[in-house]
Amino acid sequence: MRFLNALRDGVGFDILLVGAALLFLVALAGAPLVYNVLMSFQQVDMFTLGALFRPFVGFDNYVAVVRQPEFWLVTRNTLIFVFGSMTGQFVLGFALALFFAQNFPGAATIRGLFLVSWVMPGLVVGGIWSLILAGDYGVLNVILRSLGIIQANVFWKSDPAFSIWAVVIANIWLGLAFNMLLLSVGLAAIPRDLYEAAELDGANAFQRFWTITLPMMRPTIGAVLSLGLIGTLQQFDLFPALTEGGPANTSNVAGFWSWQLSFQLYDFAKGATVSVMMFLLVLFASVIYVRSTRHEVRG
Amino acid sequence: MDRGPRAAREDIMQVTKFGLLAGLALGALVAATPAQAQVTLKVWSIDGVDRPGIADTYSKEFDDANEDIVVEYRGIPFDEIVNETLRAFATGNAPDIVSFDNPDFALFSSRGAMLDITDRVANSEIVGKAQYFDGPLNSVTWDGKLYGLPKYTDTIGLFYNKDLFAKAGITEPPSTWTELADAAAKLTDPANNIYGVTFSARAGEEGTFQFLPIIQMSGGGSNKVNTEGAAAVLDIWKSLIDNGYASRDVLSLGQWDSTGAFNSGNAAMAISGPWEIDRMVEDAKFDWGVALLPTIEEGGQRSSALGGFNWGIMANTQHPDEAFRLLEYFVDQEDRIFADFGNLPARGDIELPVTGVTKKDEALKVFQEQLQYAQPRGPHPEWQKISKAIYDAEQQALTGQMSSMDALNQAQATIDGIYNQ
Repeated sequence: MRFLNALRDGVGFDILLVGAALLFLVALAGAPLVYNVLMSFQQVDMFTLGALFRPFVGFDNYVAVVRQPEFWLVTRNTLIFVFGSMTGQFVLGFALALFFAQNFPGAATIRGLFLVSWVMPGLVVGGIWSLILAGDYGVLNVILRSLGIIQANVFWKSDPAFSIWAVVIANIWLGLAFNMLLLSVGLAAIPRDLYEAAELDGANAFQRFWTITLPMMRPTIGAVLSLGLIGTLQQFDLFPALTEGGPANTSNVAGFWSWQLSFQLYDFAKGATVSVMMFLLVLFASVIYVRSTRHEVRG
Repeated sequence: MDRGPRAAREDIMQVTKFGLLAGLALGALVAATPAQAQVTLKVWSIDGVDRPGIADTYSKEFDDANEDIVVEYRGIPFDEIVNETLRAFATGNAPDIVSFDNPDFALFSSRGAMLDITDRVANSEIVGKAQYFDGPLNSVTWDGKLYGLPKYTDTIGLFYNKDLFAKAGITEPPSTWTELADAAAKLTDPANNIYGVTFSARAGEEGTFQFLPIIQMSGGGSNKVNTEGAAAVLDIWKSLIDNGYASRDVLSLGQWDSTGAFNSGNAAMAISGPWEIDRMVEDAKFDWGVALLPTIEEGGQRSSALGGFNWGIMANTQHPDEAFRLLEYFVDQEDRIFADFGNLPARGDIELPVTGVTKKDEALKVFQEQLQYAQPRGPHPEWQKISKAIYDAEQQALTGQMSSMDALNQAQATIDGIYNQ
């Protein structure tokens, strides 16, 4: 009986809860992660695919991946994709959030409608943007041409100068609503009287934004940016629908490359290697994020 | 709570009654089945996922006709069948018969995952090696042994719009790539949104599918891609794009979408295969025909892409004899595959029935001739990596990131690494 009581409240209960959470984490996230890291140090072929222990090859897979002719191109594209998408999603999302925070009639309803882009599957979004960005009959080219911005059609998906940006544009649209929503929640949480007090003290709109909104939004912004980083690195659906990483890898990024290596070229070890490299990148970004918000938590 | 001995006795009686019933049911089942032991064959292919195809239809027919064999058919989408079979093979759950796209076949046959059927075919009264075209047969052969049979095949040729040709004063379809470029220049009409030619140089298997034949025409192959001839044709293709005779979007369009532009009259020529014919008969509001793929020089070496799927029995099957019987049934029904599913048999001894649609019948004749020149991709266990090196090089050259020769040299270095490991 005492044992059961200990389970119901007190230390025992705590351990039970922590244990369940940890078990869940280890089974669903930890084990695949370890397996993935393990695989990146092994030689994998179809006969050892189901095995756990395979010939150990040290850092051979890492060396081979870095020596691939497309490695640096993919690295460059990944950086463009991540920072381009995050910047676009965040700046436009913040602008929209501020716009809808003005509380004009219908603001809440229209803001809700923006979520349409977020609930749509990536493949559908990719398919639609594929039509919009088509070179010969794409809607975007028609608009840009009639506005006089371009003279000749831009081949968004087929021109190496634009291909990665084609995916960035689609990804900004896809992630915009999610950014706006999180930032709107953050904005709503700022007490109104702060603004009223500042206004009485004669602060103009820009000063109020710079000295009240931004500092008060800091934890929200940190969360939005780190979620944005993770979401962008995970983005996969848009690539097969838009460019398949082409032409000649000019729009290939680490996530798609990793999938391509594993499931199109059947080089599972190299696919795992690229994903471990991505994992390290996210880990690095998470450490920066945690460090940057640490004093917020203490304060 | 204690329910007492009485309740327990009742439980036992209950169990006995159930046991009796179960025994009766089992007896009924046994009575319904024929005396001989049943063999279960698992067949996997991409057919029947979106529409009925060869494998699902014939598996069911064979299952119905043979009391001693049960065929369990499973349709798997195109993108997943190789991965699914790899996983199944690694865990010992592989099917007995599987059907792969022909360049994927060597991945399995080279590692001993497919059953060597050389002797069975030699002794068979239904199947014979001699009846198949060389290309498809090569794709199921590894190290001189036969590991499968071609299921159906296809290839590519040059579709051309006869009305636009007449308007431009061109009488014959081009027979060399230089002639094709000249014709494309004359046929291009930006005012009416007409490109001279369309093809697919996409970042994927379709890109390699259309470009490898050029390498083969120049005397190269899957293991030798940096030939002068291939570089010269790449330069021609690049000039087509740079001059606006072909859309720059050939770099991202698949063959089906690319040929769509031809059907709507927005391109005067298109490189694609027989799978386009039915839609073209329906959609194209002009007179069209098919020609053999142009060569590098007049009267030069011919080649074309080899598409289509193969059958194979997996090496770990428990029932090789029954599986081969099923394979023989599939082969025996090959005279129906064109009429029923629109697939071309991979052999020359089957007369294709006349459909009565003139353009379609003429087109099929050209494709059957083209099939004699079709050469497989690979075969090589790491074909997909070779393919990526080839389509990457093609795209680098066509987008001007590298000269054609440099791009092909880089691909050759990658391919050498794959062949020499």
